Amino acid sequence: MPEQLQQAPRTYAAPEFAATVVRVAAEVLETMFFEEAVPTACEHAWLSTAVSVHVSFEGSHQGEFLLSVSPDTARSIASGFLGVDPEEMTETQPGEVILELANILCGALMSNLWPESALSLDTPELASAEHAFLGAMHCCFNLPDGMVAVSIGVCSGDASA
Amino acid sequence: MPYSVMIVDDSAVMRGFIRRVLTLSGFEVGECLEASNGEEALAGLEGHSVDVILTDINMPKMNGEELLRRLETDSRLRSVPTLVISTDATKARILKMLSLGAQGYMTKPFSPEALREELERVLGERNA
Repeated sequence: MPEQLQQAPRTYAAPEFAATVVRVAAEVLETMFFEEAVPTACEHAWLSTAVSVHVSFEGSHQGEFLLSVSPDTARSIASGFLGVDPEEMTETQPGEVILELANILCGALMSNLWPESALSLDTPELASAEHAFLGAMHCCFNLPDGMVAVSIGVCSGDASA
Repeated sequence: MPYSVMIVDDSAVMRGFIRRVLTLSGFEVGECLEASNGEEALAGLEGHSVDVILTDINMPKMNGEELLRRLETDSRLRSVPTLVISTDATKARILKMLSLGAQGYMTKPFSPEALREELERVLGERNA
């Protein structure tokens, strides 16, 4: 995590910000991954076993995005995306699909939150969920096979803009 | 009539997804070529003709912007419609890609139906 984020995390609790994250995440999961995602209260015991992906973004806004998916949900999401039975998937395919989900979700969120901005996303990387961003915007979703958590930390730029 | 398609994306799972939703949407796909970046796409197109190119933007070696520039300078390929598929829905990016010669721009997430409709529009413009 960039030093700037560790030292000075900013919290954005604006209702519109949270509503956008919830709406976009649910839309992405339903449209391309064929999963119904329902926002739910946070309970993070499952994060220690989650498949997590980290994406940095920069430009008019700078910050980080973290997606965490419980293992069974990762297999279910990958199965829906690839159109194959979970038993037929390779060991690496769930991770590859969650990387793609993070890329799509982060890009869609940036475009919806700041449509007039110019942003670039770094290549998504598998990461540890243990450093869930302190002070970051955070939402949890319940899916049929488990949980998904989405966090965005913005360290520069006006998140409400 | 089945259409021959070139899918350019550095993610193998994304290429597979696009190929699958093309079929799911009812779009008639004939030959389906794949490339993981612009360089591979241009190499693959040397020996093949396709009806439409679907390309991502952010790719290693040669990104989607450079691919569009190179297609525009090729007398044989400049008439092949190109549809950009990207996570980037910012106005600046969309305008940039259209100005480089893309005939269409789809932002992820998209449904199979939306992809088919956009492809039919792009191909219809070419055939008009």
